[in-house]
Amino acid sequence: MEELATFIIDKARDMGAEYAEARLQTDIRESIILKNGVLEASALEESRGIGIRVLVDGSLGFASTNSIRREAVEKALKQAFKLARSTSKLMKRKVSMGKGDLGSGKFEIKPRVKFTSVDLESKVSLLKEADEKSLEAASSLNVKVPARMATLDNWVTEKLMVTSDGANVYSVTPRAALFALITVFHPQKGPVQRYFNLGETGGWEVVERWNLPKVFYEETSALSRVLMEAIKPPEGEMDVILGPEVVGIVSHESCGHPSEADRILGREAAQAGETFLKPDSIGLRVGSPQVNVVDDPTLRGSFGFYLYDEEGVKARRRVLIKEGVVNEFLHNRETASVFGVESNGSSRAVAYNREPIVRMANTFFLPGDYTKEELFEDVKYGIYMKNFMEWNIDDRRFNQRYVGLEAYRIENGELKELIKNPILEITTVGLWSAVDAASKDLEFQAAYCGKGDPMQGIPVWTGGPHIRLRRVRIGGA
Amino acid sequence: MKNEEIPSHIVDLALKMGATDVAAKLTESQRVMIRFSNNEVTISNAFLENSVDVFLMIEKHRAATSISTISLRSIEKAVKNLIDVAKATPPADIYAPLPKGPFTYNPNLIRAPKILLSPDELAGHVESAIKGALEEGAERTAGTLSAFKGRVILATSGDVYAIQEKTGIEISIRAFLSEFATGHAVSIAGRLKDFKPEEAGRRAGEIAKAAANPKPGEPGEYMALLGPMVFADLINQVGILSSAFLVDAGQSFLAEKIGLDVASKNLTLIDDPTIPGTIGARAFDDEGVPTRKNVIVDSGILKTYLHNSMTAKKFGTETTGNAGIIVPYPWNLVVEPGNKSFEEMLAEVDDGIYVTNDWYLRYQNYRTGDFSTIPRDGMFRIKRGKIISSIRELRISDNMLRILQNIVGLSRERTWIRWWEVEVPTLTPYALISKLNFTKSRM
Repeated sequence: MEELATFIIDKARDMGAEYAEARLQTDIRESIILKNGVLEASALEESRGIGIRVLVDGSLGFASTNSIRREAVEKALKQAFKLARSTSKLMKRKVSMGKGDLGSGKFEIKPRVKFTSVDLESKVSLLKEADEKSLEAASSLNVKVPARMATLDNWVTEKLMVTSDGANVYSVTPRAALFALITVFHPQKGPVQRYFNLGETGGWEVVERWNLPKVFYEETSALSRVLMEAIKPPEGEMDVILGPEVVGIVSHESCGHPSEADRILGREAAQAGETFLKPDSIGLRVGSPQVNVVDDPTLRGSFGFYLYDEEGVKARRRVLIKEGVVNEFLHNRETASVFGVESNGSSRAVAYNREPIVRMANTFFLPGDYTKEELFEDVKYGIYMKNFMEWNIDDRRFNQRYVGLEAYRIENGELKELIKNPILEITTVGLWSAVDAASKDLEFQAAYCGKGDPMQGIPVWTGGPHIRLRRVRIGGA
Repeated sequence: MKNEEIPSHIVDLALKMGATDVAAKLTESQRVMIRFSNNEVTISNAFLENSVDVFLMIEKHRAATSISTISLRSIEKAVKNLIDVAKATPPADIYAPLPKGPFTYNPNLIRAPKILLSPDELAGHVESAIKGALEEGAERTAGTLSAFKGRVILATSGDVYAIQEKTGIEISIRAFLSEFATGHAVSIAGRLKDFKPEEAGRRAGEIAKAAANPKPGEPGEYMALLGPMVFADLINQVGILSSAFLVDAGQSFLAEKIGLDVASKNLTLIDDPTIPGTIGARAFDDEGVPTRKNVIVDSGILKTYLHNSMTAKKFGTETTGNAGIIVPYPWNLVVEPGNKSFEEMLAEVDDGIYVTNDWYLRYQNYRTGDFSTIPRDGMFRIKRGKIISSIRELRISDNMLRILQNIVGLSRERTWIRWWEVEVPTLTPYALISKLNFTKSRM
């Protein structure tokens, strides 16, 4: 690997590249799909190849190939050069790679229990047991579960990335992930659905710790109660407590994405869009002093974990909103150069055949100093949105909608009945400005963040504590 | 060993090792993509890949793999491993043998038109698209040009051996007059002569210019005129969620609706991969079954789900030639045209909204079809048959089945759409939808 990477970098330098990077990456993935309690198939996927990026005449060219023969790699390098040169005439502002804390070294996350040491039958049995627990939970509430989908994935990413200016990082990262979609049904009530993701860095021990039978039992039980008991939600202005799952998605959508520097520069304008933040928005107040949101790739065990990014820059925690004020953007070396700052290590690519772009890792709202009980006891009239199903946000990251799934009415500090699909449709600044308190707890959820063209669905965590919003509007118009 | 021989070699190998059924697909692919923003190129990409997908069964025991290192040694190792995985995999509920060939394929679908991947030529297309948008009054543009060529070589234990050529060229361009005044258009084609980058640029520029100075929109139910990009997004939902696998998984509002009215009689939706020269054209599916024209919705009635041999057996029917080994999939969606011009449709709207594009479609419930999506780019208020102003910041929050039932008209004019948000190539008209529900953010 090392020899091939060095060969490419040397060759690129000889050809006149201002900057070059080579990323050899292998992802070996095992997937099990269980549908309605029956195994659909097990799949093994190997994705192995090299991605080469060169900066030529101020223009970036990227080429990938899954053949690691020298002649194929050299052909890819030449192609990247040719493309960069052909399109440099369409460049007004030449690209340059900014500074960053470049690293070198070897980093390996060693799982306690390797996925390969667990036989397929045990993995399938675990999923089946979880599926049976779903049925059991629903049946005790006289509810059917006509459709269930669950996929259990594990994959190991082995990567060597080398740059022409000295970064050389080898890493091995195993990940485990579960996706589930559960549909509960009652003839008089119709269907209600819930999907959820679990994901972490680590080996089979992670999956064991999740205790999937318990998770499926509790999720289906809660969903069945929503189906059978939830009543029309109140509408109008009221206090709202958001659970960590909702706070996580809000932090991701309404703080993480707007803070991506490539988006601020318009690089994603035709796909994932732009942002309401501008290059000079550092220091802009977007929320109350209780709002603190960070993105941190270095959290051990996290789904979005890494120590060095795809440009060899050391990862660190990024404080995106500090006490309600925009504090820092997410940068790679290209955007850092434009902004005249150092890269904060936000460059990620999902596979060898994707260009590295500015991404989040683990974005979360920092815990406050309230207990969860204290948050609730001060609400006279409001709702608690524990989790959600539908959500979206406009391409300036300013108008968003979250539709609660498991949600309750609150009266005089006490949780009352379940309510059906309360809708929070609000602006980013409106939401952040309404936060008056955050609890001490902190939970994370796994997700795949979509961005780039071709699309790169990258593993992330979203998270936060419970937060309280004062006097926001609930209702769908 | 030549690429053409590898799939058959894998099939022989797997059968010898004990598989009852095998499908091996080798994909050769070359794609060049030029991304641009602020009227200049941001990066150019070249993807050069050959990969092999193998699916095998030992009766009810199924396993699949993909191999990216293509050598005889790695292939043999991968097939042996896959046999072991299949043996260790608990049995599925049914066994559907792979379809038995050999089949005859339409030669016009097997071959694809020539498309050159010359960087200079492709950069020229980008330039002309940007020029078109700027000449219409846009200040800046962003987008992607993508051109590809490749082959699929398929062999199965059902005596299938076939080679499919694939080519295409696409541009997606968004034009900006200001942060809030934007327009988006695409041109996608299987043949170079059908590719119109400058026209796409001009269209995006025209919409951006018309969208100048937007006012906040007011929520409510409106007669809505949906442009091809929006309607293609909705139609993609119908096409993709007509996959029998997703129906079975509870991930479709079309479940238990075969033979029933799911849309107004104005809607006829066909999956038609048999149109030569289109991006979604293909002669055979991943099981080697010849593709065919499948009418999914016929004058509002849901006629079929899309099947591979496995879902077909489960549903007690025949494959529709849409394998996806695990998940059946539409290839090339076509909405039958209506009988009105865009101007006639506009003239019919007394009090409504014209939406040119949308993104971020998310379901509250796949099974019921409750969802919302966000209009983006030009959105306009219509009164007494005329566009009276540009509006912004509304959300479509409705139900998929309700929208399909409320299709009151379709245009004669149709456009092929595929872009970042719309996965399956779709030939679609403008659509007039009654009582479409719009909501907005408060605070």
